[in-house]
Amino acid sequence: MNMKKVAIVGAGQSRYGDFPEKGIKELFFESYQDMTKSVDKGMDPKRIGAAYVGNLGSGGFQLGNMSALVSEFVGLPYIHTVRVENACASGGYALISACMDILSGAHDVVLAGGVEKMTDVSGVKQKYWLGVSGDTEYERLAGTTFAGLYALIAHRHMHEFGTKREHLSEVAVKNHKNGAQNPKAQFQKEITLEKAMKSPYVAYPLNLFDCCSTTDGASSLLVCDAEIAKEFTDTPIYVAGFGSSSDYLAIHDRISTVTLEGTKRAAANAYDMAGLSAKDMQLAEVHDCFTIAELLACEDLGFCEKGKAGQFVEDGHTRIDGDKPVNPSGGLKSKGHPIGSTGTGQAYEMFNQLRGTVDKPTRQVGDAEIGLIHNVGGSGGTVSVSILRR
Amino acid sequence: MAHVSVPMYWRTVPQRYGMVGQRCRKCDAVNFPPKGVCKYCNASSEFDEVKLSGKGKVHTFVLIGAGGAPPEFAEQEKAGGMYPVAIVELDEGPKVIGQIADVNPKDVKMGMPVSTELRKIYSEEGVIRYGFKFIPEELSR
Repeated sequence: MNMKKVAIVGAGQSRYGDFPEKGIKELFFESYQDMTKSVDKGMDPKRIGAAYVGNLGSGGFQLGNMSALVSEFVGLPYIHTVRVENACASGGYALISACMDILSGAHDVVLAGGVEKMTDVSGVKQKYWLGVSGDTEYERLAGTTFAGLYALIAHRHMHEFGTKREHLSEVAVKNHKNGAQNPKAQFQKEITLEKAMKSPYVAYPLNLFDCCSTTDGASSLLVCDAEIAKEFTDTPIYVAGFGSSSDYLAIHDRISTVTLEGTKRAAANAYDMAGLSAKDMQLAEVHDCFTIAELLACEDLGFCEKGKAGQFVEDGHTRIDGDKPVNPSGGLKSKGHPIGSTGTGQAYEMFNQLRGTVDKPTRQVGDAEIGLIHNVGGSGGTVSVSILRR
Repeated sequence: MAHVSVPMYWRTVPQRYGMVGQRCRKCDAVNFPPKGVCKYCNASSEFDEVKLSGKGKVHTFVLIGAGGAPPEFAEQEKAGGMYPVAIVELDEGPKVIGQIADVNPKDVKMGMPVSTELRKIYSEEGVIRYGFKFIPEELSR
């Protein structure tokens, strides 16, 4: 058995939002500098032997060799660098790639990050571009975007389990409440349940406020062999476990319409590696690209029974002051969803939550020791889960 | 880009025009659309061609509207205001996604019996693409 362990000793994130003056290089640099500042005892960039950069398509502007580009821009030429692409789960997989690199012994200090530039792209091109991560031949040609696919899941969930329209909107309201306390979030604004319920149906039963937006942003993590973590900080955060799983790309091919099998399997692997279970997770950052996705995550990660997530949310368990806070950062819904950055951005939030260094105390979840991050590609074609621990 | 070229479309014509699926020689289950290896047993790539009836029941559906359509379907949304897309559980077992036509979107129901007809799906690169859509069974000829 491999006795090596992995630690995160620095984490940074750019502001998430719409930044006309910044491209992928500048966004990535902003997160890299933020990460550098977070390393308590300082860091010599020459120690970094590899970089794994999550990215879907750079807005279609630098499809080839983009990881070399952003690495050299931040002062890291001549390293092992790879763009990691698994749609919206690219960042989560970039972190897992960094962990596997360290566990293999290939490198002892590795950069894991992600970046996406989405707002340069016109609305029409955006929908073309974002449609590439589902099943193109059948789902897309039936006339659906991602909202449509998640709506198919949501509608069946409502039909089978009696999940209410209000339950979906409550997720949006909660996440906007949290995001309003996040200075790096795209939408730092609370919304009322009434407003969330009354927005237009883009894909009935999902409305506009069930959907996350398009976002520019980047995040960076300094990941190392736990043996040398104390060279960088006295309070490293350990990667206690990780797991990932693919699934059939098209929803119609899956075992169940209302379960993300990828989430269940990725979580099972991560729990197993960490020697922990769902009940040990004190908080979580989950993939809420659409409100229904947060309900599925609560069920498939084992936080509540299948079909009961609506009630679980309604009862307040997932609020910051609840017993299982979910998305204290505001989630993809309010913090924003710069695709390639989302997974490592979740790790950035969890790193600070577990160290008690969240920028605004109103968003800090008590004194948590163990947290989970969950990143989904497309409508569940790829899923990664990591468990972080103080 | 979520772009389906004419050659890519052409390769799926047997499915889109004729509902041609695969019956697994090992586990007898029907795959539609086709797979390299049977998705039910994951143990065989030996299939017999089978033409599906096109009949099934609505498993779940969505009504696309208010700008929720992909660009190549935006015109259809604009013309009709809203269009239904369903995952249908076919009588032979597999589920498949498709639009429901000839129906008031508000009348689509879970479990509703439907059958396929060859219809215009959309046009891209100046080429009209035909394929199956579902229509309510009560209207089928």
